[in-house]
Amino acid sequence: MYDNLGGQAGVPRPPLNPQPTPFANASYGAGSGFLRAGLGVYGEKILGSSSEYVQSNISRYFSDPQYYFQVNDQYVRNKLKVVLFPFLHRGHWTRITEPVGGRLSYKPPVYDINAPDLYIPLMAFGTYVVLAGFLLGLSGKFSPEALSLQFTKGMVGWFLQVLLLKVSLYSLGSGEAPLLDIVAYAGYAFTGMCVAVLGRLMWSYSYYFMMPWTCLCMGVFLVKTMKRVLFAEVRSYDSSKHHYLLLFMALAQFPLFIWLCSVGA
Amino acid sequence: MAKEFTVPPVVFPSGGNPGTGLQQRRLPTAPFQPPRSANLPFMSFDVGSATASSSFSAPVFGGNTVGIGGTGFEEELPLLEELGINTRQIWRKTVSIMNPFRVNANLHEDSDLSGPFLFLMAFGLFQLLAGKLHFGILLGWVTVAALFLYVVFNMLAGRNGNLDLYRCLSLLGYCMFPMVILSAFSLFIPQGGMGIFIVTAIFVLWSTRVCTRLLVELASCGDEHRGLIAYACFLIYMLFSLLVIF
Repeated sequence: MYDNLGGQAGVPRPPLNPQPTPFANASYGAGSGFLRAGLGVYGEKILGSSSEYVQSNISRYFSDPQYYFQVNDQYVRNKLKVVLFPFLHRGHWTRITEPVGGRLSYKPPVYDINAPDLYIPLMAFGTYVVLAGFLLGLSGKFSPEALSLQFTKGMVGWFLQVLLLKVSLYSLGSGEAPLLDIVAYAGYAFTGMCVAVLGRLMWSYSYYFMMPWTCLCMGVFLVKTMKRVLFAEVRSYDSSKHHYLLLFMALAQFPLFIWLCSVGA
Repeated sequence: MAKEFTVPPVVFPSGGNPGTGLQQRRLPTAPFQPPRSANLPFMSFDVGSATASSSFSAPVFGGNTVGIGGTGFEEELPLLEELGINTRQIWRKTVSIMNPFRVNANLHEDSDLSGPFLFLMAFGLFQLLAGKLHFGILLGWVTVAALFLYVVFNMLAGRNGNLDLYRCLSLLGYCMFPMVILSAFSLFIPQGGMGIFIVTAIFVLWSTRVCTRLLVELASCGDEHRGLIAYACFLIYMLFSLLVIF
């Protein structure tokens, strides 16, 4: 009797064990696969659409900011020479182009001395603020509020410079230059301002020599650069109108420099 | 004569006032009785409240002592550890910054903002001793400087830029330590002389060197832009030195 009962109890146990296991495996596998597929599809859709939307907007308003920071020490040194001594620039002022994806695009700054960058303008602006702080301090008018005011004044000056270049290019029939190009060209003005303020720090009378000199250099640099920009954009060249507007652009540097370099006044 | 006699009877009605006086005598007896009756419930209330307070206080004290003693003190974490401030790590990082020629970059892999905050408060305190109130300005300028350095570094590094703003703020704050020392020294150096400028130049170069080295070593690819990053750091620490000098 007992032996028979043991045998009967032993027999149904093996078939019971494998039954839930394949069900669990099947359900888990199916669920995970389905979920993974769904997430993948939706994720790709969402990410794809958002990235496309963001890229389209960015490309509409700005060119790639990364392009303007592809610089090295050699480029920075050479570019500073070109900006501060434009008369000594023996090479041409045309930017180098290369075919990329069936469309002409410019080479990055690290390969082309004439390409604009944003590193030098940013550093020049920072140096301008620090030198203005030193000038305020040496004249006994330093306070964090005065320095913040000088910072704001510099930002306004940069904005006015961008506005001047943009309006000039528009009036000359060329509105296709990217905004960051104009911002970079406008920012190079701070390089000359730093030299003028530094001269004022060293010897106050040298300010009256450095100021006109840096204004003239910046004017020449802008004229040559804008002429290349215009030539690249506008094939028809109305020489008289272009010359007058370029001259106006150069002459506008003088009041702007005088206003921005009058620190603590 | 007869008319003169009629005037005194008019005075007699005023003599009726004692009658009203009698009424007044009756009135004061009435208000005395209610306070007497009220006194008893007042006393009974006081006795009741006294007993209630005594009964409430004993179990409350007992419960509090038992609860606090049992669970709180034995298992409670130290306050600094609970807040996430690692004082030992802060000390080690500070000591590593002391040596401008060999900085241990591995210590700064874990970024934190407790050390920078301590340094900024110390900087502000030394400025306060010099008679300048710069606490808010320091915090604002450090934030703007961190944003500036973050933008410049990641743009220069290109696609491989892996420096996040938290780490940038942490490194910038830790490298403010030479600035704190400069702020302390400036209390004893005369303001108008050339000495303060020389000392300032030494400490600014120290901060710049340490910060540049840490940035280049912690972020994977910054070697080819070392000089450019160094200039950005130099500008930042020069700006903070202006607060000390003037």
